[in-house]
Amino acid sequence: MNFPLLHIPWLGDGMTIALDAVLHVVISHGVAIGLTIMVALFQTLHATGKGRFWGDIAHSLLLPIVIITTSVGAVTGVGIWFITGALAPGGIGSLIHLFFWPWFIEWLAFTTEVIILLIYYYNWDRLAESKPYTLMLLGWGYVVAALISAVLISGILGFMLTPDGWPWNGTFVQAYFNPTFLPQCILRIAAGIALGAMFAIGWLGWRYHGADKNRGQALRLCGLVLLIAGIVTGASAVIYFSRVPETFLTHWRYAVATSKLAQFTWLLPLVNAVAVLFIVLTAVTAMLRLRRTSMFLFIPTIILCLGMVTEFERVREFVRGPYLLPGYMFANQIKLEQWVAARKEGRSMLKSMKWIAANDVQAPAAVAGKALFDANCGACHTLDGLNSISQRLRGRTLEGVNAITAITQQLAPFMPPFTGTDQERLSMSTYLYYYANKDVVLRPRLMKEGK
Amino acid sequence: MMGQTTDLFLSMPMPDGWLHFILFVLFGLHLLFVLLMLGTAMMSLIFYLQNKLSSDGVGLSWNRSFIKPHLGLKSIAVVLGVGPLLVMQIIYSYGFYTTTGLYSYSWLAIIPLLIVAFLLIELFEHRMTTGTLLPLTAGVLGLGALLTVPAIFTGVMSLMERPGDWAVFGAHKMGLSELYIPHWLFRYLHVLGAAIVFGAAFHLFVTAKGDQDKKVRMRCWILGGILFQVVVGVPLLISVSSIFNWQVLTAVTVGTAAAMIAAWMMFSGYDSKLGTTCNLLWILPVIFVAMLAARQFLQDSTMIVQNNQVIALQRAQDKDFAQFKSQALKIYQSKLNTIYDNGATIYDGSCSSCHGTTGLGDGPSGRRLLIKPEVLAAVHANRKYLRKLVLEGVEGTGMPYFRMFDGNKIDDLLAEMQSRFAIFSKASSGPKGDKAAAKSIWANTCVTCHGENGAVTEFGSTLHPIPPDLRYYSLSPERSMEIITNGYPGTVMQPYRQLPLATRQGLVDLVASLCDMSAQN
Repeated sequence: MNFPLLHIPWLGDGMTIALDAVLHVVISHGVAIGLTIMVALFQTLHATGKGRFWGDIAHSLLLPIVIITTSVGAVTGVGIWFITGALAPGGIGSLIHLFFWPWFIEWLAFTTEVIILLIYYYNWDRLAESKPYTLMLLGWGYVVAALISAVLISGILGFMLTPDGWPWNGTFVQAYFNPTFLPQCILRIAAGIALGAMFAIGWLGWRYHGADKNRGQALRLCGLVLLIAGIVTGASAVIYFSRVPETFLTHWRYAVATSKLAQFTWLLPLVNAVAVLFIVLTAVTAMLRLRRTSMFLFIPTIILCLGMVTEFERVREFVRGPYLLPGYMFANQIKLEQWVAARKEGRSMLKSMKWIAANDVQAPAAVAGKALFDANCGACHTLDGLNSISQRLRGRTLEGVNAITAITQQLAPFMPPFTGTDQERLSMSTYLYYYANKDVVLRPRLMKEGK
Repeated sequence: MMGQTTDLFLSMPMPDGWLHFILFVLFGLHLLFVLLMLGTAMMSLIFYLQNKLSSDGVGLSWNRSFIKPHLGLKSIAVVLGVGPLLVMQIIYSYGFYTTTGLYSYSWLAIIPLLIVAFLLIELFEHRMTTGTLLPLTAGVLGLGALLTVPAIFTGVMSLMERPGDWAVFGAHKMGLSELYIPHWLFRYLHVLGAAIVFGAAFHLFVTAKGDQDKKVRMRCWILGGILFQVVVGVPLLISVSSIFNWQVLTAVTVGTAAAMIAAWMMFSGYDSKLGTTCNLLWILPVIFVAMLAARQFLQDSTMIVQNNQVIALQRAQDKDFAQFKSQALKIYQSKLNTIYDNGATIYDGSCSSCHGTTGLGDGPSGRRLLIKPEVLAAVHANRKYLRKLVLEGVEGTGMPYFRMFDGNKIDDLLAEMQSRFAIFSKASSGPKGDKAAAKSIWANTCVTCHGENGAVTEFGSTLHPIPPDLRYYSLSPERSMEIITNGYPGTVMQPYRQLPLATRQGLVDLVASLCDMSAQN
């Protein structure tokens, strides 16, 4: 199937999806799972007679939870569908056909989750005092639905990294119940709970207006939850990454940092160690009921946490290497067989493309070159923005560019090969050569201008 | 299950009939909550304006309870939208992805629009009773963003149902195609009208309970909404008359008849509370389902035909690709087994296609370059300098940069080059040659580019490629002699074969003496 291609200029496709997805992950894990578990926990303590203030804390957290999860969390989740559908229809369409049932059942769980949350929210005042146990059941019912939804998604996410025997056998069971399914489930849920505990610590420090004694008790509980969830997150992350093939994982530094920063191999491990240290410190200060310290620690720690979430998701995406669906489709939505066919039989790529936007600005050769670039490279490279192809090719000779496009697969293992005829590759290389060098002024450069 | 097919787009999770049924039900539920949400937001803002502009409006406190369900309605509307979205992508893969792709940015804009709309309407609700400017701004902007979304959705659907117009739409890129503007406009208005009818009915049963005034008000809104639907519905039907069939006609007739009954019930306003309420609860679903069915029949009349054509093509292509599958998987497997975490693999993967496995500059891609790749086996260079070359590449040649490998990998690669070519060891020395002659040639000719001590001059650095910095870079005497004698093709370095052999030998020796292998440059 050949669909109209859309690539986001300057920002690039990957970053566009990432911005939406990271926001969604932070809310779906940290708020919809983590913070809501804290609320259910507080309400349970109230219901079981541990003190009214637990109920008050839970209640005041509930409205922001409902607004954020339903207005931003749910919409950014749908946003992932929208963005991937527009940017990689071939990829997401293949995935939906393969994983229709888990996604459909996950959707049922998600619907249940939202409906329970709304019942929980709208009936709080009515039930909190008169039927606290009913409210408690609702709260934990919500948590169960939310966890089911998280578990169901994990199989699909794991497949993209560890498809097991699927490329050869094509069985759903192998694809879905793959080696990273379980560690990823635990990792995501534990990280969500840790984030939720973090948010609760921040809120208790900055926004809680009750008695100091009560705040101290709540802080202690949140610190304890943060510490335990943090340890589980760390352990499951270790198991998770041990099961991910080393092929692309080995390039994780380059994936996370810029290529210049990746030259300092100690940098990222150091930043991660600092982040872990801050999380432990925050947990300990909260357990010691030190309000002021945990208040101010909360800010750098939450920023570092968001950084780690982003880092994890970035590595997870990158480890897919040049594949959207491993062993089936390249990142540019070209199927492996189509590339082999083009290579063996010199089949044209342009002829298979239905949607080449004509324009009256460019010469036909440039239109073809640009279309081939979009189809082959546009999923990861922009012309001038993030991961800019101009910057990478500037100053190279035309036949140099053409040599590079011939060997992308070997040059960097995470690049897909060019699909098309040799003539088409030359068209693309020519277009890129002129594009990359369009601002190069042929005049003597002075030493002081540097290279 | 992939079974015999290799193309995932051809594998269906369940029979088509079931998929269509599920889509119809889920889309109906989604649309219902969308209408309730839209109607609630629109009427609430209108009540607010009425209240602010004249004393004849609903009270703010009632308006607050009127808008309160919005939070729940929109949450359910969004959630229920995901199901049909999922099924839609299965049944109408081709049409769905093509039209959303053609709508591109407008389609993507739905996400920020919804977030902004939901947050602003929430703000409108919470600040309704305090101040005027903030709730008014939030309400107007929020509703504006919210009303844009169905406009985009109806636009996408109108395009989806017209496969014949896709090519034209794609060629003109973006913008609403004039092809169906009238249809799209009436369709959009029809959605808004339905939102008023169903929204008002929802509040008649939910928020206006037990309050006669409010009930009458809601009934007026329902009646007005139905009349508006008739006015908009007639041109809407005319705009799709070309693809009319008897199923559509039946559904529309049933829906219209039911709507007329509902209108009469509202108009006559007879007040046996139970009667009106129960009857309305019966009649509204009939209208809703009938109109939804009409829409579905219209959509299927074009889309199913087109979808089947695409699937037939897809099957043919799939048969054709099957022959390449085993080879594709072989290559995939070998890629998985190749890990670029050691010098040997990186050199073989990233360098050897130009520089050759033995470093003779004779790799398969290298042979096609006008400026031949350097003979690495002959290079003897300062480590730091070479590292920079690998990281930055060489402008004016085909040498790419390799910053995509992190520091450790570059170190491994350099170590590999040392073990293969002794690249960081001093070059062996050749015959000394004619030192004096060499010195004078160097001072009169070579320094123009290479500089007195081997540091590239200002003129040299205007060249493309810039010559190497001979303070940190040297070659074996044989290779050096080769370049001085025959030049470096494709660069400014010209042949000096007219010089006596002894002079050239002297130059080779002089150049070698400039290089400091261990300098911390």
